[in-house]
Amino acid sequence: MSRKLTTLFLAMFVLVTAMGLKTVVTTHGDSSVLMANGSAPAPKPWFNGSAPAPKPWKNGSAPAPKPW
Amino acid sequence: MPGPLQFAIWFLGTLLEVAVVVCAVKKNLFRRYFFLNLYMLLSAAVSAGRFRVLMTDGVDSTVYRYFYFYSDALLTIILFFALISLFGYVFQEMHVEKYVRMGAVLLLGGTAWFTYAVVNQSSARIVTHFVFELSQNLYFVGLVLTYVLWGAILKLRETRALLVQLVLSLGVYFSAYAASYAISNLRPNLFYYVSLLVPVIGCLLPLAWAYAFWRVPDDSRLVPARLTMVPR
Repeated sequence: MSRKLTTLFLAMFVLVTAMGLKTVVTTHGDSSVLMANGSAPAPKPWFNGSAPAPKPWKNGSAPAPKPW
Repeated sequence: MPGPLQFAIWFLGTLLEVAVVVCAVKKNLFRRYFFLNLYMLLSAAVSAGRFRVLMTDGVDSTVYRYFYFYSDALLTIILFFALISLFGYVFQEMHVEKYVRMGAVLLLGGTAWFTYAVVNQSSARIVTHFVFELSQNLYFVGLVLTYVLWGAILKLRETRALLVQLVLSLGVYFSAYAASYAISNLRPNLFYYVSLLVPVIGCLLPLAWAYAFWRVPDDSRLVPARLTMVPR
């Protein structure tokens, strides 16, 4: 395997490992955000507005049938 | 608004960041470890900027949020390059600088692309969410890279004491950050205590680097037996 391919493989391996690690850590979380550059107090992150989230669509109130 | 203790820790952290640069300049190591010093210098400057914005606009203001998260993304990218420069020193004798640079660009580009792909699917405010998601993803990339670098140090039997100390302190810093992130996500009721601990962790890296620049001579070597023995 050439050095370029090895570099590409290692870079992708590190990326996949890091994102996998982050996913494992945050799977059961509440999307808490911690920032670690310096000691300044971290503000709360942006939210997409403060309106309450709507319920999912329900086309009428008829009971849903069982799938085939 | 943060309390007096938080301000004291913040002030101490900023002082330590300045101390790293002062120690490096005194020992003629500023240019040799340029990206590490640039990170500390910018970190101190950003702290001063954050303090000014915090005092004028408050911690929950939009201005502070924008300033905080955008400056954090910038600092994280520079910390990433500082870590890559350490890779360059470790692999110096193998003459693979070109491949280290290529890997760094691929990794940074891949992380940015992955972050964009995730944010694009899940958020309406792409730019603002992208900025702090990129920071968080780069922290984890930095964590994995630091362990890869430590593995390379053991494998290549690197004996430069200053380099080993700089990498180890970076490893402790990233690990402590990842652990606090994990605890706050797995146990949300502990988030308050963890958020108090994070600024203290932020002081540890400049403290370790300042100590390393001040006390460890650039040409000092470790005895190989003091590192873990790894068969070649």
